[in-house]
Parts: sequence; structure tokens; C-alpha cells
Amino acid sequence: MSAFLYALLFPLIVTFILPVLRPRSSTFLSALSFLIPATTALYGLLTAHRGEELLINVSAPIGDFYLLYDPISHAFGFTISLVSAMVALYSLPYMRHRFEEMDVGESEFRKYWFLYNLYAVSMLWLVYSGNLILLYIFLEISLLASFMLIYLYGYGNRQWVGILYFVWTHIAGVLALTGFLIIALSNQTLALNEIRVIGFLPWLLIFLGMIVKLPGLGPHIWLPWAHAEAPTPVSALLSPLTVGLAGYILLRIYLIDSSFIAQFRDIIVGYAIISSIYAGLSVFRQRDYKRLLAYSTVSQMGYVLIALCLGTYGLMGLVIQYMSHAFGKAILFMTAGAIITAFHGLRSLDKMKGMHEFVPTISNAALIGFMTLSGIITIGMFAEFLILTGLTQIYGLNLEIVSLVVLVFVISGLYSFYTMREIYYGTPMGYEKPKLSRLLDLPLYAIAFFSVAFIFPPLAPALLDGIKLVLGGVAP
Amino acid sequence: MIELLLAVLFLSPILGSLPVAFAWLLEPKRDWSRRLPILAVLGLFVSFLCTLYILFNFGELNLEEVHKFSFDWLPGFNISFTFIFDYLSRIMGVLTALIAFLIGVYGLEYMKHDYRLGWYWFFFNLFTASMLLVVYSDNLLMLLIGWEGLGLASWALIGHWFRDDDELSFVGIVGRKIAGLNYFWSPSLGAWRAISTIRVGDMPMFFAIAAIFFLVRNLNISEIPWSELAEKIGAAGIFLILLAFLLGPFTKSAQLPFSEWLMTAMTGPTTVSALLHSATMVAAGTYIFMRLTWYMKPWTIHSVGIEVLYVLVLFLGLISALYGASVALGCRERKVLLAASTMSSLGLMFATASAGFWVGQIAILVAFWYLVTHAFAKATLFLVAGHLIHETHDRFCVGGRELAKHLKLAFAATIIATLCLSGIPPLTAYWVKSAMDGIMHSLEHEFGFIPLSLLVLTSAVYSAFLAKFLSLNFLKGEYHVKSHGGGRLMGIAYTAMGSMLLLLLFVYLYFPEFLEFVAEGFLPSSLAVGLVVLLTYLLTLSKPTLESPIGKALGDRLYLAFLNDYVVSKIGWSLARLVDYANKAIDIFCHKAVPKAFEMSSKGIRRVQSGSIELYLRISVAVLLVLLTVAIALGVIM
Repeated sequence: MSAFLYALLFPLIVTFILPVLRPRSSTFLSALSFLIPATTALYGLLTAHRGEELLINVSAPIGDFYLLYDPISHAFGFTISLVSAMVALYSLPYMRHRFEEMDVGESEFRKYWFLYNLYAVSMLWLVYSGNLILLYIFLEISLLASFMLIYLYGYGNRQWVGILYFVWTHIAGVLALTGFLIIALSNQTLALNEIRVIGFLPWLLIFLGMIVKLPGLGPHIWLPWAHAEAPTPVSALLSPLTVGLAGYILLRIYLIDSSFIAQFRDIIVGYAIISSIYAGLSVFRQRDYKRLLAYSTVSQMGYVLIALCLGTYGLMGLVIQYMSHAFGKAILFMTAGAIITAFHGLRSLDKMKGMHEFVPTISNAALIGFMTLSGIITIGMFAEFLILTGLTQIYGLNLEIVSLVVLVFVISGLYSFYTMREIYYGTPMGYEKPKLSRLLDLPLYAIAFFSVAFIFPPLAPALLDGIKLVLGGVAP
Repeated sequence: MIELLLAVLFLSPILGSLPVAFAWLLEPKRDWSRRLPILAVLGLFVSFLCTLYILFNFGELNLEEVHKFSFDWLPGFNISFTFIFDYLSRIMGVLTALIAFLIGVYGLEYMKHDYRLGWYWFFFNLFTASMLLVVYSDNLLMLLIGWEGLGLASWALIGHWFRDDDELSFVGIVGRKIAGLNYFWSPSLGAWRAISTIRVGDMPMFFAIAAIFFLVRNLNISEIPWSELAEKIGAAGIFLILLAFLLGPFTKSAQLPFSEWLMTAMTGPTTVSALLHSATMVAAGTYIFMRLTWYMKPWTIHSVGIEVLYVLVLFLGLISALYGASVALGCRERKVLLAASTMSSLGLMFATASAGFWVGQIAILVAFWYLVTHAFAKATLFLVAGHLIHETHDRFCVGGRELAKHLKLAFAATIIATLCLSGIPPLTAYWVKSAMDGIMHSLEHEFGFIPLSLLVLTSAVYSAFLAKFLSLNFLKGEYHVKSHGGGRLMGIAYTAMGSMLLLLLFVYLYFPEFLEFVAEGFLPSSLAVGLVVLLTYLLTLSKPTLESPIGKALGDRLYLAFLNDYVVSKIGWSLARLVDYANKAIDIFCHKAVPKAFEMSSKGIRRVQSGSIELYLRISVAVLLVLLTVAIALGVIM
């Protein structure tokens, strides 16, 4: 067993220990349990580590269950574990406030920590899964755990929202599962390293499933409900980490067989661009901070779909875009949560003006979050650079598509700073300066540090060269 | 050694500003945290020393000498941190750091009682460091880090007084409306206008950089094989890439129609305006254009695409210059007047540099030295304006002889700066402007006298509004001094800045490199232009105001604000509203209509299962009848 496997097992085991601990110790144990795989993933990235580790031999048509280590998995794995660790720290003051609000005791933390860790660890295992069924199992666990978290601790009409989330994600799940099963029947295996062909029908089913999950324009309608009404630490995992995993699954399928994308490239790019612009424009009309961020997620996921169609550079852009969006959006959701905690459920933009006056550290963190989304001196810059390079590779100097993609990026920048102005600038309203727990702002800066550090050596070359190594042989 | 130098150069301003930034976040407004800005200014000074070292220690300062230093960044992509020390960057670096340092000193007093010192100094120094990065970088992707840093820092500083509660920080007459549109701007709005305009230009520029990277796999400006590239992608292709690239400089340097943000950028502290308008931000746009032209050598490439582009830049620059100067002439706000004049100067820099396509490298040199002259003069004027605003608590041009007597240094600095900048013989800008006249004159073959006449007209208007600034603030008017005292540090800073203009005059006349400039200055035609400029200067000095509807319209910037605040925002908001309706419709369909339909059909099916035999019989008969009818109908058709 390799060190990487131990690092992955640790949070899984911790999940079952957490319920017996006190809230404070379980917070730090949970954070620690994710910092360990974060460290190994970072080490894997820096050393361009690649490998496979067999877990169980399963007969046809399932194929072997194994863990897949490569720079792409490590990039996703690092992002998931870093964000999960930081959100875990943040959960303590936030959920304490939420439980007080809901009038339940501290013992509720037992349930919370179990579900939280289960949710995060299943996403972590998902990106290292080398078998589509294994991957599906972790997908399903993460959906169930997040559903429970929304159902139990969400805001507003939380049962209704929980069920809505459950139904939509299961439409996605069933479509993908059907696709996987067809692949299993035609290949007699679901191990990623042995699948040879993916026909049109399974590709279509998986693609449609992932469009629901990503989400694209149309099915996107579930996302603002779920992400806005979930308790904020859960939003800070749902939005940055979970939805983007659809991009990860599509990437893995693409690496096996890219025919589907090649065939329908123009349609998909067109759809993705429209979806991104549409969602970007929607952001301007939102008056609820969390809903606003949720629409921005839809817009950013449009980038992922665009990137998927843009050859090798585009795929590199996809991975970096996932990371950049995860860092940025995790920070932003946590800023929204900090305001909710500090001002007793304040979410409406109508009641926020000049918030910088009261929560300067949160405001500064939000600035870095928005910088990441719009690609200013953060890892987001590389995502945009790679997507634009891929655009030139695939479409040349095609004026229409270039201007549309540029418009997509412009809109992200605009809504970012529009929101900064609406919430943090302007004449302050008559609030008191609150006393913030340090756990509500320091974790944000830890993520921000990596968001900036990833554009400089040694992280930047390690990440980009590593991904390039994996994609090496792939035709555009 | 060189690593250390570069690290100190870029990091010392940022590190110097960190103590005050953190102190302010933790313990704001304490006395000891009000003393920390000294460290930030010290950081700027160290940076200045580094630029001086770079100026004097890398071989002779001439047009050919180039030193490049590369450090690994993304070796797999042939992208590295490449720093370049050449004629342009060595001088520009010193200019940037010196001006930033002097403004820093001024800021120690000007911002003394501010409520947000940590933020101010951090972004002020980040601003400087970003500009230095832009100046010394040869690699376009690295340049982009500095470039975005400039955009971010300008946003942060323009909106520095984010509370929007101080009339002194607004632009326009508060409460004024034109055709239903608010014609005044708060700091937070000014910041938003700046960043939103800049993003529109930066993204196409980013695309151009990515495209160049894909096509030639090299992002070092001095190494990109431009003529091969032009051949490879054809005239339309190279035009598209260069235009996309230049949209960045156009928006940053506020050329038409992207000029509005620059005017409302005056909502920031005056120190910021001074820095933004002299050696950073707006100068970055023209500087990048000069650098690009310098290494592209368009006069050696035969491509229609490039030619069309340079014609575009030439006329865009000239028209922006005339527009800016006219607006400044009509303007009554101290800082906005100066802002409009900056736009005018930037237009002249663009136009002159673009003439390089026809006349070669000399055009870039003229544009560059105009940039240097302008930077010192404009910084001086802004610093004076800041002092005046502190003294009079008024953003508009008010003053009089009493004020001149009270602020002797400011008065003297204004005289020097206006005289030296407007191009009155034999003072500093005259020699550069004469060379500019010569270059525009040599375009006669291509465009007739249009460029030259536009330039002369702009110069005349330019000197007029400078004289107006001097006259309204220090000569005419009945302002009574309510003594305030202080301002020593501020006075020292702008006196030093203004005296740089005299030093520059000495440089032009003494060093043989500027022989061409001086020779142009002695031509009768240049002297004639100089005379015209002098006359308008004197005329406006004696009669600085003139009520006229045209003047009013100019003062309102020819209502260009409607483009930003009305046209674009209306289009944007109506699209957003449309999208919002669509969202509501999808929401109702998916989360109300579909569940409802399921509910109805399930209710219907459940009603049937009631156990009543009669109902079942009836249904069976009905179904049979329907089937029978269908069968008969089919039979008839067949």
C-alpha cells in the first residue's frame, strides 16, 4: 500500500470517529484529515507522480477496482482536500450559529460531522477512482450526504429544496449510470485503463447527465435553489467542488474516446457560450448574496464546457478552471456565510451597503475571490489563457467565436466588481462592527494564498507540465 | 546578484507597505499605526535606487544596448520571466520610481488624517510595483501580471473613499441631472466605471497574447518574429490580433470612446490621480504601444493589415487629443480639467508613436520624451491641485492673488509646469513639440496637412486651458484665505517635481542625442507654432472664462457619459431582465408545472381504481367504441 492510499484512507476512517468527539476536537481532526491528502496530492503534483493501485479484482463486466494517480487526479484531489479542510475549520463557528438559530443543541454536531466528512471524502475518492462503477458509487454517496445536509440544516423551505436537489441529481446520476452500463456491456470492463470504445449512445447519455449536473442552460435551474438554501459550509463544497466534478468525469471519458466531442464540437461550444453568458447576465439581477454566487457558478461551469471542446490546451484549461473556480467560489461562499453569521441571517443585497466598514477582512477576502473568478493575478489567469490558446488552436482567428468567448470573460469581470460595489462599497448602513471568530476569516486567506501561489514557480510549472504530460498523446 | 536586484526592486514597495496594511487591519487609527507609512515610502525609495542602478550600470545608455535576463517560469511552454533593460525601460523605470517616490512623500502629509491608511498605502505601492513590472518585462504573460495589477490597484484607489459620504471626493455637481441621468459620480461609482472599462479592453488583449503564443510559441516582445507572423496569418489576421492587443492600451490610456472612466477616476485621492496620470496606468498603455512598435519595426514590414492599424492609431490619437484638450478647456473642476488634458497628451503620444510606421524609430523617441516631459509636469500640476483642494475645500477652480501669495511655492510650481508643458519657446516641451510638428509635417505625403493641423490646433487649445488653470486658481477671483498652515512636505514634493522639468530642459539642450529635437526647434515653422501657443497662453491668462453654450457642452464632456451610463447600461440591464424572465419561466415549468402534471395524472389514475364494476365496464365499452371507430375509419381510407 502506498502512502497515497494511506492518506486517502485517513479521512475515511476519521469520518466514523468524528461523531464520538466534542465539536471542537472533531473540527480540527476533520481539517487535519483533509490536510494530509492535500499534502500528498501536492507532493504528487510536484513530482509529476503517476501510478495505479489495485484495490479489488472484480470479474467482467465490472473490471478491476483500482486507484488512479496522475497529475490530473492530484490537481483535483488537492483542490478538494484543501477546500474541504478549510471549510471544516470554518464550519465550527458557522454551524454553531446555525444550530442556535434552529434551536437545536450542540449534539447536532455529531450528525453534522459524520455527514460532512462523508460528503467530502467521497468526492476525494471519486477523483482517484479508476473504475466507472467505483466512481459512480462515490458520486452517489456524495449526493446522498449532501442531500441529507441540505435537508437537515438548510434555509427556507429546506425539505422541498432538498428533494428538488435529490431528484435533479438523480436524473443526472441515472443517465450517467445507464451510459456506464452500456459501456460495460460493450467493453466487458469498466476499468478506465481497459475501456477501448465508447459508442455514441453511452457518450450521449453520460454527456446529458453531466449537463444536468454541471449544469448547462436549462437544467441549471436547480442549482440556485440548492446552493443558496444549503447551509453555507455545504454551499462552499457544493458549488466549488461537486458540480465541477461533472467536468472531471467528462474529461476522463474524453481521454478514452474523444469522438463525441469532435463530432458535435460547434454545437457544444455554442451551447456552452450561450449558457455562460446567460448565467453571467442573470447574476446582475440577483438580490440574494448566495443566489448571486450560485448563478456565477453556472456561468463559470460554462467555461468548463467550452474548455472541454478546445483540444489539448482546452483540457488543461478545464483542470485549471476547476481549481480556480473552486478556490474563488469557496472563498466567496464563505464570505457570504460570514456575513450571515455576523449579522444574524443577513443575505439580501438590499440591506447591504458599504459592508467593508464592518467586516474589512471579509471584504478583502471577497476581493481575492472575485479576482480569482475574473482571472486577475490569480490561477484564474492561467485558465483563461489556456482556454484562449485552445480557442486559437481549434477555431483559428474566427472573429465571431473569439468575440463571444471574450464577452464571456468580460461579463465575469463585470459582475465581480459590480457585486463588490453593491455589497462592500457605498455609504455604510447602520450596523455595529461585529466580533468575528478568526475561523471565519483565516481559512479564506489560506485558500487565497494558493490561488495566487499557483501562478508562480514551483507550483505553476509543476501543475501545467504535469497535466500536459497526461494529455500528451491526445489529439485535439 | 541580478536576482537580488530585481527582487528588491519589485518587492521593496510591497513589503514596505505591509506593516501599515496589517497594523491598520488589526488596530486601526492608533497613533503608532499612523507613523508606519514612512516605511512604505522608504520601500518606494529603495525601489527608486534600484532603478537608478539599472539606468547607470548596464552599459551605455543608447538605442542599441539591450540586456535581457530570463528566469524559468513555465519551461514546458517556452514562457519565462524575462526582464529587459533597454533604452526605453531604463529611463521609464527611473521616471516611474522617482515620481512614485515624490508623490509618496507628498502623500505622507496629504493623507495624514485619512480613515483607511492601510488600504491606501498597500495599493499605492502595489500600483508602483505593477507599473515597474510592466516597464521592465519583455514577456507578455509576465507583463500581464503587472497590467492586471495596475487595473486592480486603480480600482482600489479610485474607490478609496468607498463610503461615498464626502462631497469633496465626487466628480460633477452633486445632485445635478441631465435628461434624467445623474451627472455626478461617487468614488464607488468611479471605481466601477474604471474597472468595467478596463476589463473590456483587457480581455481582447489577453486573447491576442494567447493567439500570439499559439502561433509563434514565444511571448518575448523583443523576439516575436512579427513579419513571419504577418505572412503566416495574412493582413486580416495580423490586423485582428494587433487590434485586439491594442484594445488593452486604448482602454487603459483612455482613448475615444473609452475616455469616460479617466474623468471619473478623479474621485480618488489626488495623490492617486497624480500617479495614475503621470507615470503609471495611463502611461502604461502608450508605453506598451511604443515598446511594441520599437521591436516590431513596422517600417520594415510590408503588410496592409499593419498599415491600416497604424493609420487607425494615428487618427484615433489625434482626435482623442483634440477632444481631450477641448473638454479640458470647458471644464471647471480642477482635477477633471487635468484629467482631460492627460487624455489629450496620451492621444498625442499614440499619434506620434504611430507615425513611426512612416518615419521610423525617431517617432517613438519623440513620443517617449513627450511622455517623460508630460509626466513631470502633470504630476506637479496634480500635486498643486491637491494642495489647493486641501486649502480651499473646493474641487472647482477658485482662488486669486491672495491664494497665490499664501501658497507661493504652489504658484511658482504651477507657472513652471504650465509654461514648460504647453510648448512655449524655449522651455522644455517646446523642443519635443517641435520635433512632433516635424514628424506630423513629414506625413504630408500620405495624409496632407490634416495631422499637422490637428496637432497645432490641439497645442493651441492645450496651452489655453493650462493658462486658464493658472489664472483661475492664482490670478483672478476673490478667494479669501482662511489660514490653514502646514503643507510643507507637500510643497517640497511638488517643487522637486517641478524642478525636474528644468533639469529636463538642460538635458534636451546639453546632450547631443537631442540634436534633432533642437534643430527642429530652430525651424521658422516650429517657432511660428510656438508663437501661436504663447499668444493663446497669454490671451487666456488675461481672460480665463468665457460663457458660451459650446463651452458648457465641452465642460460636460460632450455628453459622452451617456455612452457609459445610459446606452451600455440600458442594453445590459434589459438583457439581464430578459434573462431573469426566462429563469422565472424555466423555474415555474420545472418546479411547478411538471410536478403538478405528475400530481394530476396520478390523481386521475387513482380515481379510476375505485373498485366500482360499473366504472370499469363503462371504460371498457368506451375504449372498445374508440377502437372500433378507428378501425372503421382506417378501413374507409384504405
